[in-house]
Amino acid sequence: MPTHVLVARAALPFLVSLLLALLLHFGVARFLDDYDRGLVMSVGINIMLAVSLTMVNGFTGQFSIGHAGFLGVGGYVAGAVTYATSLKLYGDLETRGSMLSGTSLNVDPATLSWFGQGDLLFVASLLAGGCAAALIGYVVGLPSLRLRGDYLAIVTLGFGEIVRVLIQRTDKTAALQAWDRVHPGVPAPEGVSRVFAIENSVLDPATGLSQTTYTAVSDANWFEIAPRVGGSLGFSAVPDYTSIFWVVLFAGVTIAVASRIKRSTFGRAFLSIREDEIASEAMGVDTVRYKVRAFVIAAFFAGLAGGLFAHFKSMNPNEIGFARSFDIVIMVVLGGLGSISGASIAAIIVTLLPEWLRGLDQYRMIIWALALILMMIFRPQGLLGVREIWDKALWQGLVRFIKREKSSPKAGGGA
Amino acid sequence: MSTASRQQGGFVEQGFREMSVALAARGVSKSFGGLKAVQDFTLELPTGSLRGLIGPNGAGKTTVFNLLTGVYQPDVGVVELGGQSILGLRPSKIASLGMARTFQNIRLFGELSVLDNVKLACHVRAEQSMLGAILRTAFSRNEEAAIEAKARRLLQLFDLDDRRDEAGRNLPYGDQRRLEIARALATNPKVLLLDEPAAGMNPQEKLALRALIRRVRDEFGVTILLIEHDMGLVMDICEHITVLDHGAVISRGTPQQVQEDPKVIEAYLGVAEESEKQ
Ligand SMILES: Nc1ncnc2c1ncn2[C@@H]1O[C@H](COP(=O)(O)OP(=O)(O)OP(=O)(O)O)[C@@H](O)[C@H]1O
Ligand SMILES: [Mg+2]
Repeated sequence: MPTHVLVARAALPFLVSLLLALLLHFGVARFLDDYDRGLVMSVGINIMLAVSLTMVNGFTGQFSIGHAGFLGVGGYVAGAVTYATSLKLYGDLETRGSMLSGTSLNVDPATLSWFGQGDLLFVASLLAGGCAAALIGYVVGLPSLRLRGDYLAIVTLGFGEIVRVLIQRTDKTAALQAWDRVHPGVPAPEGVSRVFAIENSVLDPATGLSQTTYTAVSDANWFEIAPRVGGSLGFSAVPDYTSIFWVVLFAGVTIAVASRIKRSTFGRAFLSIREDEIASEAMGVDTVRYKVRAFVIAAFFAGLAGGLFAHFKSMNPNEIGFARSFDIVIMVVLGGLGSISGASIAAIIVTLLPEWLRGLDQYRMIIWALALILMMIFRPQGLLGVREIWDKALWQGLVRFIKREKSSPKAGGGA
Repeated sequence: MSTASRQQGGFVEQGFREMSVALAARGVSKSFGGLKAVQDFTLELPTGSLRGLIGPNGAGKTTVFNLLTGVYQPDVGVVELGGQSILGLRPSKIASLGMARTFQNIRLFGELSVLDNVKLACHVRAEQSMLGAILRTAFSRNEEAAIEAKARRLLQLFDLDDRRDEAGRNLPYGDQRRLEIARALATNPKVLLLDEPAAGMNPQEKLALRALIRRVRDEFGVTILLIEHDMGLVMDICEHITVLDHGAVISRGTPQQVQEDPKVIEAYLGVAEESEKQ
């Protein structure tokens, strides 16, 4: 085969993701309202979370139940990067994106470029979030994946809660302050009511009372701004860069990467661990190394998803707690442990169903628990098992099944 | 190149051996709590040999395999593969150094297809990077094609190619045993350990297995150590047999010698009498 055909084939899933992202962003999204656009983005982010967790719980058969912790690490790191950098570079939190990023739909497209400097900042922040999550994934995964059995579940559960609690304890004071608090007695310039400044409490040695002073953001150190991620109040000061384009693009990339891995020699190595760890090790698979690898890759993509989430909704410690982790586990189990397409379909269902059945919201934990129990009884391997919707074997199995159903009465009569 | 020849030279000087030793265990012992499962076990497998390890139930044969392949660490003793100590190495590392095995209680990757079971075993020799696999580089694609071809060749040799798309766990018992051997061979082993390969096979399958094991030794040039309760099979194909009882070697020699050894007869008869009493 000529080289350019091979290169095109190698790039195909990534190109398809890009095209689909452009199509949905410029085509479909214009006909949706804000609410529906938000739903599409939530679905995409949840697909990334479910597919990444599939690599751990599905491929290698481990049981991680703190995936939202990586969403949190990625989201807060990526958010802090754009937040602090925007303040340092621009002195405000306006987005400087393009037609591709969040705000563009509400702005006259003619005024927007194809790729703004804000997009660069945004993508860099996403990668920073992904890498931070991957690093933490390594630190959490290496010791716990050396041990057998359920240690990972316990450790990841604890890890998710630790992330949540640590974030709750971060600085609540945002850098946005009222003008007259920062400059008491100075009349505000036209149209300016608030400024970006860092509030400091200093103890006055003369009086023994604490005094509030302000540092202009331009004078503040990068590291003074970045940790002000809002504590239990949430981190809403992140510029809204996330758009359908970016979500669909990254969800597509996540699916492409996961399927490429699954179909490669590395995918077989992962799956062999889940099937029989002792045999896998005996066949030369360094099971600890591969479990850690899967865990780190999964953490990376969850971190990316977190970055997208942070630049879309406001990050909040409640969003990254156990309930969120549990949702992701449900998507993976419902979809079929090890099935990328199954996890994606389940992510769509688990995201949209509660939106459509609004009234049932308070029962959703019960409904998912019931769904899981029913699944365990009637189809323990999940929707698609380990197969994919694009696997021939899945459809052959279905055809065989239907044929058998049809022919069984005849066979019964003959016997 | 130079290191290899130097090592070989050193080896010859040390031992004055005519034949090189593929696998050696010297003075290996292992206890589980108070139970001495293996005591002072010594064994040398000359390169290219086909030897047997027998003994009554619970004699410690499988434990020996687990000690040789790194599943258990010996309490004392040395295990050498190709003259190199493999003590303290993970089983995966030992597999990559050239030792493969099958399991007494079959351990296939049940959900994976027959073909993927064998392809997985080729992974230990794969050189591509994960990034290469994700980007589907020419190198990665070529290697995948080579893995597929190698796996198919092995499956054809083992008469399993027609069932390559079936899940491993759906194969009949005898086929599962043969698939385990095919899978082990796909790691390109120098030494192959077979733990009761004929267990659960019918007489025809057992006959075919004899020919197959010989063929594997001759065509792949692997050194084979075999655990088996089927004495007909062991006595027929093994050149040399080590007999284990209560964790200790009680006899070793040619099939003829071992069969005539009173200690061996006693060990097996003792077991027979005990089970008759029960
Ligand atoms: N992991 C372990 N922990 C404790 N005891 C063990 C362990 N593995 C083996 N044993 C004991 O060591 C002894 C030897 O067992 P082993 O499986 O090696 O016997 P074997 O010769 O392979 O027997 P068989 O012919 O039945 O397969 C047995 O008494 C067994 O119960
Ligand atoms: Mg045994």
